[in-house]
Amino acid sequence: MTERVMRLREQSLNATETLTAERAQLITRFYSSREAVGLSAPLLRARAFEYLLQNKAICINEGELIVGERGPAPKATPTYPEISLHSMQDLEILDGREKVSFRVDDEVKRIYSEEIIPFWKGRSNRDRIMERMTPGWLAAYKAGIFTEFQEQRAPGHTVLGYKMFLTGFLDLKREIADAVASLDFRNDPQAYDRNEELKAMEIACDAIIMYAGRHADALEALAAEEKDEERRGELKGMAALCRRVPAHAPRTFHEMLQHYWFIHLGVVTELNPWDSFNPGRLDQHLWPVYKEGIESGILTPEEAYELLGCFWVKFNNHPSPPKMGVTAQESNTYTDFCLINLGGVKPDGSDAVNGMTCILLDVIREMRILQPGSMIQVSRKNPDLFIHKALDIIRTGFGQPSVFNTEAIIQELLGQGKSIVDARNGGASGCVETGAFGTECYWLTGYFNLVKILEVTLNNGFDTRTGVLVGLNTGDPSTFSSFDDLMLAYREQVNHFADIKIRGNNIIEKTFAFHLPVPFLSLLLEDCIANGKDYNAGGARYNTTYIQGVGLGSITDILTSIKYNIYDMQRFTWQEMLTALRNNFEGAEEMQYEMIYKTPKYGNDDDYADAQAVVVFEIFHDAVTGRPTPRGGTHRINMLPTTSHVYFGNVTGATPDGRKARVPLSEGISPFQGVDRQGPTAVINSAAKIDHLRTGGTLLNQKFSPEFFEDEESYGKLIALIRSYFSLNGHHMQFNVVSADTLREAQKHPELYRDLIVRVAGYSDYFNDLGEDLQNEIIRRTGHGEM
Amino acid sequence: MKGLIFSVKRYAIHDGPGIRVTFFMKGCPLDCWWCHNPEGKAAGQVTTERIERIGEREFRSEELVGMEYTPGEVLAKAERDRVFMEHSGGGVTFSGGEPLMQPQFLVEALSLLRIAGFHTTVDTSGYAPPDVMKSVLEYTNLFLYDIKLLDPHAHRKFTGVDNRLIISNLDMLLEEGAEVVLRIPVIPGVTAERDFMEQLRQFIESRRGGRISGISLLPYHKTGSSKYRRFGLPDRMERYSQVSNGHLDDYMEILQPLGIHVRKGG
Repeated sequence: MTERVMRLREQSLNATETLTAERAQLITRFYSSREAVGLSAPLLRARAFEYLLQNKAICINEGELIVGERGPAPKATPTYPEISLHSMQDLEILDGREKVSFRVDDEVKRIYSEEIIPFWKGRSNRDRIMERMTPGWLAAYKAGIFTEFQEQRAPGHTVLGYKMFLTGFLDLKREIADAVASLDFRNDPQAYDRNEELKAMEIACDAIIMYAGRHADALEALAAEEKDEERRGELKGMAALCRRVPAHAPRTFHEMLQHYWFIHLGVVTELNPWDSFNPGRLDQHLWPVYKEGIESGILTPEEAYELLGCFWVKFNNHPSPPKMGVTAQESNTYTDFCLINLGGVKPDGSDAVNGMTCILLDVIREMRILQPGSMIQVSRKNPDLFIHKALDIIRTGFGQPSVFNTEAIIQELLGQGKSIVDARNGGASGCVETGAFGTECYWLTGYFNLVKILEVTLNNGFDTRTGVLVGLNTGDPSTFSSFDDLMLAYREQVNHFADIKIRGNNIIEKTFAFHLPVPFLSLLLEDCIANGKDYNAGGARYNTTYIQGVGLGSITDILTSIKYNIYDMQRFTWQEMLTALRNNFEGAEEMQYEMIYKTPKYGNDDDYADAQAVVVFEIFHDAVTGRPTPRGGTHRINMLPTTSHVYFGNVTGATPDGRKARVPLSEGISPFQGVDRQGPTAVINSAAKIDHLRTGGTLLNQKFSPEFFEDEESYGKLIALIRSYFSLNGHHMQFNVVSADTLREAQKHPELYRDLIVRVAGYSDYFNDLGEDLQNEIIRRTGHGEM
Repeated sequence: MKGLIFSVKRYAIHDGPGIRVTFFMKGCPLDCWWCHNPEGKAAGQVTTERIERIGEREFRSEELVGMEYTPGEVLAKAERDRVFMEHSGGGVTFSGGEPLMQPQFLVEALSLLRIAGFHTTVDTSGYAPPDVMKSVLEYTNLFLYDIKLLDPHAHRKFTGVDNRLIISNLDMLLEEGAEVVLRIPVIPGVTAERDFMEQLRQFIESRRGGRISGISLLPYHKTGSSKYRRFGLPDRMERYSQVSNGHLDDYMEILQPLGIHVRKGG
């Protein structure tokens, strides 16, 4: 690491997260100006984007080589009142809370109370959504049956493809002109809509070029004042670069990084898409331009390495937009889920590991910062050495990179109807979500609490916590003569809530298509221009809408316990069990003990238990997969929790697996904390029994103590473990390498462990930033090496 | 024919090459002071008390140590992890206890596994009738063979049996061309001595004609002591400490000239 990168990295690590009212104020001024009156939605959004880029402060940090910040300073985080409006109380909470706080100064509070809140109150998209949801949706949402992603953020989950690394925005303007020229106003009833959208896209092109130009101006001004000759040269060079990209296609390594960064800023300034946009298959994208630079002598490996360090810091300067209300608990992190993909296969199907893969792994190891996150795609065709190098980083307990199965990703995408080349260009974004990069608009819409739905089933449709009838009256379980009766009732309830959720999704999708087009993001995704259609309206080549199932391990153990203890072994009756659950096992500790210690559990390669995982998976899959969405896409499932399993556990009472009320549920497709007692091969076998290929991603968390990484031989065995899981079509596996003792120490002395990063669920976070319950859960998770 | 097994370990990564499933078999003719698996010593099933906790509260239950397996059940268990074995060059290991205490079952299980294409390993004290040792030879890819002490008196003192049979069985295996990894428990006050390691080097040197493919130094760990408490057995190692890493490196150096791969741990 050069001194420059070290300094920038320190600066980024030490910067305080603040909330800035800059964007909120600009967007409010624009929306209330004359300019905004009478515009169609695409043009309104395009002009708003232009206004933001024209007026937002330009920030150039000392010594940096890649320029541009989302806010006016590193870690100054903007808000998006047109999506959701923070109340004064929200601001107080964000400012004051112990974990993941955002400093909110008095000036920001003043602007909010005088300008932002009066204008947007009752007019944000969140208000629009809540107004349009049915009482059934609202009741289920309040009960904690599901969450809603688009309530506080715009749809995202989109990753850039290679095309944009080879294309300038002037090129896109030519594409737009062609699309406009081919509009057929005589025969195409949507020609007018397309024309508006294309005009909006063109404005967005000009806006981003203008924004780069403002950076060039600022850099030139700085250069004029700069005393240090070397830095003056750098500033001049960077200014020239900002005059060139993103207007033109980048020609050099430096240009390519800066080009991407402007695109990134455009996307996250236009709206706040879930989950943060990212460059995708970065080793593939950068390798040709790197090689060319080295061969022609205009680039040295040291220069490239330094530029990458500068590039990495930029991501870390951008915490995730501050949340509000219940979402703060659901997903309580600064991480904005940029996930750099390495490895995998090329468009022709051959091994994609290259020199840049190794360089980027070195960057990840050395930078050791929260964002961007990273993952390796492991294909049969990739060499072991590649996994080995990744394990070198994983073993340090950093939690990155996570490990994905290229062949599974490709098959998942093919199963959804993507072309083989688009599938090979795909990967995972966010936590583990499969997508075709550069061509697919895939939305995640909310976590779906598979455990809570069983609780509702056991209570004949009622939510015991709120006392409200949220589900269907499927009968008192004590009248069920067989386990199959229970499963029929459960299936009915899952279908019922999937219906409610999908109905809501379809309305919410429309609110975005109608009110919040994203002409800039639409430029980046193939075929939005050709279709003259917005990203939020189905313009992309592929469109998918996901619902994320949560609590597979828990629900499996719960159903297994009911089958085993009530029907097969007849250890206790329904009445006894339901009473014990109501009393949170007070006075029924013996029963709780039998449920925990004397009942088969998921994660031990026990077919008796694992069979229930398969049944639940199929029920959930059938309820969701294949249902159409308004933008011409399809609903599908994936199995990941982020941190929602903590929130979902919190709203769920005691359960028949012996879990007490409010305790977190299992996460992803991992076993419930601590119940896997047969080691990692058994966990893998259990997890592989569901059909990963019919999902858009599953998350398997395996905790290992450092001794599993002690020598070459242990590495070989871990590589074999990964390859085995992947040969069984497993989608993803992540390693948490840390000892429980270290974590306990960290809880006691947080000040001494400020750098401690752990894998939470598909992403890493600072241990100190996690809530105490999540910290405790991570400590509890079985460390296989400590068994 | 059934075998009595007291534990099955999956993702066993110290009991032979690759990822393995290890079956720990009941019964052992030796009585080593440092035994890590005292529950495996008695030949029959034993019951013990198991204590499990929920919060502060303890729950006690009876636990049977020793489960009956047919060779077919062993095969079925191994099949579950075949994919891991194939990717890692692993297989199945029989340990104990002393697996050769249940020779008929062992031969049947080994032959079933071999027919099904599994790599097989027998982890043995070497203390078995020569014909029993011979009977598993055909179905065993690798022997993990313990050399505990070289001096017969000391051997008798610390393990309860004479070592001459052990040494002659080893020579027989080497004669027959079996692949053998020697496992040397490094016990403070017993074998954790430079002198012993020098003697050991000579002992191995004189057997260089055989297929000794590795030497594992197994440092004594205190992990066994909680088991002794649990099973109500006296812990004769109480006053002994653990072996330091530095000493272990010294011993490895002594054995290095043999040109055989020496490693710490399994």
